[in-house]
Amino acid sequence: MSGGIVWTLVALGIAVLVVRRRSLAVAIVTAQALVLAGFALEQAESGSDVLAAAALAVRAAVLAGLFFLLVSRTRLTRPVRARVPPLARAGIAVGFALVLTWLVPAVGLTSRAAERGVLALLAFGITTAALRRATLFQIIGIVLVENALALAALQVPGGASVAIEIGVALDMIFVALVAVVFYERIFAEFGAGDSAALRMLRD
Amino acid sequence: MTDRELIATAVIAVPACASVVLSVAPARVVAGLARIAAVPTGMLALVLAALAFHVPGDPVSGDWIVVDVAGSLLVAVIGAVGLASVVMSPAYLGAGAGGSLVSPVHRQRVYYTALYAFWAVLLAVPLVGNLGAAWLLIEATTAASALLVGFSGAPRALEAGWKYLVLTSLGLGVALLGIVMLAAGIPGGGVSDLSWRALPTFAGAERTGLVAYLLLIAGLAAKIGWAPVHNWLPDAHSEAPPPVSALLSAALLPAVLLVAWRAEHGLAPVVGEETARGVLIGFGIASLAVAVPFLWRPLPWKRLLAYSSLEHMGVIAIGIGFGTPLALAGVAVHIAGHAVAKAVAFYAATPLLGHEPRAGEHAVTGIARTAPRLGASMGLSLAALSGLPPSPLFVSEVLIVAGGLQVGRPWEASATALLLALGFLGLAHNLIETTAGDSSPRDSRLLPGLRGVTALTAVACVLLVGLSVVAVVLPGSDFVTALVRGLS
Repeated sequence: MSGGIVWTLVALGIAVLVVRRRSLAVAIVTAQALVLAGFALEQAESGSDVLAAAALAVRAAVLAGLFFLLVSRTRLTRPVRARVPPLARAGIAVGFALVLTWLVPAVGLTSRAAERGVLALLAFGITTAALRRATLFQIIGIVLVENALALAALQVPGGASVAIEIGVALDMIFVALVAVVFYERIFAEFGAGDSAALRMLRD
Repeated sequence: MTDRELIATAVIAVPACASVVLSVAPARVVAGLARIAAVPTGMLALVLAALAFHVPGDPVSGDWIVVDVAGSLLVAVIGAVGLASVVMSPAYLGAGAGGSLVSPVHRQRVYYTALYAFWAVLLAVPLVGNLGAAWLLIEATTAASALLVGFSGAPRALEAGWKYLVLTSLGLGVALLGIVMLAAGIPGGGVSDLSWRALPTFAGAERTGLVAYLLLIAGLAAKIGWAPVHNWLPDAHSEAPPPVSALLSAALLPAVLLVAWRAEHGLAPVVGEETARGVLIGFGIASLAVAVPFLWRPLPWKRLLAYSSLEHMGVIAIGIGFGTPLALAGVAVHIAGHAVAKAVAFYAATPLLGHEPRAGEHAVTGIARTAPRLGASMGLSLAALSGLPPSPLFVSEVLIVAGGLQVGRPWEASATALLLALGFLGLAHNLIETTAGDSSPRDSRLLPGLRGVTALTAVACVLLVGLSVVAVVLPGSDFVTALVRGLS
């Protein structure tokens, strides 16, 4: 895999961390998934590889459709303020990615650039879910993590199985569907998709 | 296909098909259909377990389906608890007719469809022969069960369901990275070649294998609810409908724990037996240490049970980590005994919430004074969970600690014994207060589902006594030999 594609994916990942608008974040994470699907298609050597690439593309399209629908149905009067400012978020995420790259030995993927990209995207996804207060961004963080893992699966020597790729795509769609149901209900209950409102359960 | 493989397929297919049928069936027949489909599902699970226990030394071990004693024990537990949860569901649905995550028209249909989907996927987890597929199934349990956790639609349930969805999905993402690393190191491998038998053939660098194992176990820990990644567990267990809480605690947690056990067994030759087991013991002791202080506090009933789940998953992890025949005999008894006692305790929450509506958010006392039969069910289940003799959990805990001493881990065994003793005292205190403490006037007519809970308590009594006897004779049996050998 060329370094250019990997760094494009990483740049899109960091963009998700810093943008304010939900629709922009959905567009970015969708673009990232489509880049992955395009790369998978380009590398495809058999019918099952093409199916795996198609599963990635379908997942990207379905999630985009779901999230855009959600954004349109839950108009915010003002954006949910993040706990941590954008530059600090980016700094924390890059720091986390560097620590992961330092801690985790060679993963065994076909390219070292891809290994670093996977770890960076994983760090960005976890940071997004942890630091963004807007609940939709927490789900987008999970999608970022799944994109990182899709990149890893594409770079495993021997390739990822089409059954597993389709399974992962289906699982992600189911999780996103449930998240959408929760998001709408949280929005209706609290008037905003703000995870700060979800602090009732403590011991 | 052997008989056991056929039955294993049917065990998964029946509830999966039932879920599909329930999603389209006319509303008036949904509850009846759900009850009808539960019987063959539960029976098939028990038959499969009986067949596997009959020939413990001869497991079915394919690339996609395995039927061994450990998996079959879990299938029996999931089958029985699932059956009881379906039977107890009408009482919950009738009592909690107020709010719901979905519209009232679809409430019953969505509940049973999700419950059956969750049950089907749960039954598949112990039977799957491939780590990649096991991950897919565990992730699928998240989607089905999150919907059920937040089913009441109340703000607290929404918070619990959301936390559960986000935290376990992120955890499972970390586990999947570990799986991809393993796939990269297995000769000729792709992710689809990660059968349990193939794990020991990992040929990558030793450090890579270790990091992959740590990522995998840490990710699964988030789903099992091991400390320190247990934050979702008390919330989800306390806010889910009681029949779902029973499935989460008695079936889901040990089913995912079985996957961690199989991974430990398969990867021990790669990362070293001491290290592989030490990781599980570490998570186990951490879980016990985090749970025990909460067992001393006057918590709402279901929240107390959730922290008890954290404690018991810790005990099971420690037993697997010790890995001796004594400890593994204790693990088997502990999984079964915990499931029986915990399921009854959660089912008792339905009549409890009718009898004392504050019980959802506050500790309650003196239930046996105002509702003696309910108090007896709660007291019996809590006594069994605390490990009060002759509870089988007392015997299993003794076996696990003895196993630790036997394998030369005296410090870990001593820490376990001390924490278990402290946990016992905390739960015993709560047992006395909850059943026989001071009580305020309550309406003893509002006890939805009490008849079912009483009947299940009677069955649980018999099962718990039987398990105590089994626990004494189990060490040294072929069953335990098969547990030690695993799928190798």
